[in-house]
Amino acid sequence: MTSASDRPDDGLGERLRELDAAGVPETGPLFDEMFSELKARCDESDRTLAGFLRSRSTAARRMIVLSIFVFLGLVGWFAFPLIAAEGRSVQWTASLIAFCILLVLAMFMVTRPVHLPALPRWQSLCLICVAVGATIVAAFWPIPAALAATTHNHGGGFMAGACMGVGLLLGVPVYALLRLVDRGNALGNLVAAAAAGVAGNFVLKAHCSIAGTSHELLGHASVALVFVLGLGLVHRWIPSK
Amino acid sequence: MAASSKVSPSDEELMDAYVDGDDAAFRLLFERYAPILLRLTRRHLRDDEIAQEIVQHTFFRLHGARNDFRRGSKLRPWVMTIAMNLVREHWRRQKRRKVTDLEVDTQAAPQADFMPIELRQRSALLHGALERLPNSQREVVELHWFQERPYAEVAEIVGTSEGAVRVRAHRAYTTLKQLLVSEIRGDE
Repeated sequence: MTSASDRPDDGLGERLRELDAAGVPETGPLFDEMFSELKARCDESDRTLAGFLRSRSTAARRMIVLSIFVFLGLVGWFAFPLIAAEGRSVQWTASLIAFCILLVLAMFMVTRPVHLPALPRWQSLCLICVAVGATIVAAFWPIPAALAATTHNHGGGFMAGACMGVGLLLGVPVYALLRLVDRGNALGNLVAAAAAGVAGNFVLKAHCSIAGTSHELLGHASVALVFVLGLGLVHRWIPSK
Repeated sequence: MAASSKVSPSDEELMDAYVDGDDAAFRLLFERYAPILLRLTRRHLRDDEIAQEIVQHTFFRLHGARNDFRRGSKLRPWVMTIAMNLVREHWRRQKRRKVTDLEVDTQAAPQADFMPIELRQRSALLHGALERLPNSQREVVELHWFQERPYAEVAEIVGTSEGAVRVRAHRAYTTLKQLLVSEIRGDE
């Protein structure tokens, strides 16, 4: 308990005590009603997939998310053709590693236990900016020009649109998964959106053999931007409970 | 319930029982903590409906996080941290909705009809003074004074160092004294 010397001992203490005593007296029926509503809400939540996942321990939630990330990554890596070996530069590898790190950081933020003090908002905002920034920087490291010469005849605009569509589609399950395990962290929706954009970029970077910074900016980096801006606006207009 | 054989099981025993699937233990925890949390949230929000909603949501989050509870942990900091996170989130949303100070001031203060008018006025004045504190200081006053938590535990709940909490408390009490200076002098 607080020692007496720690607390104001003069008139202020007296006033604070007065205020504490002046609260509205609580009644049993109010708490009965509140508990009934709460119990119904808990029971309803337990019946949903989100409720089931959110009530797992933090370690279990993280293992679930990591396992699914690794599974999807392995399937994507081996089931579909990677870009030509000539295109796998140091920058290409660095981009993929950076995307992986960002995904793991986002996962840790989103699965943060609620009994710990909430993270400062600037940390979440920082991760979101870095994630979007990383996809833009990666666009300035396209596959080498030698490959670009053979691949630029497809019609840049159409292919950028196709890549963007694929990236958005691939990001949706990542977003959904992160929302399903989020117990209600502030800005969790935007962190999940940024992670979805990064996941889409990871797959596009690994598999898309269309070269050119403009293509990567329009077709790849835009995925993260669309996710963050789009979902940010949606959540602003339709605030969650 | 394993804990029911004792006269008064501790909060932690009740939580352990709840984690093991005992719903009655959850009810007992609610009965213990809901009044404390309701007073806390009312003091912060001055809106009964929102205060009740936050109390319910605190327990809803506790329910969702129950599998994170480890034997040997203290429950009170858990519950307080969840509640304070929700209160902070509420303030942030209020700010975003651009609720002006004027609108906050016109909200009905939680005052009982049985209170004498003078006490009601004094209570409103002190509420006003508390509202003028920055959120970071107000939550320290709430936990340190009203909840009688030691500085170390307050630091754990608000997620900062004990030294920073002491500084915030000192500043908050000094500001409150300045705001209520005439009244306090009158009391003395």
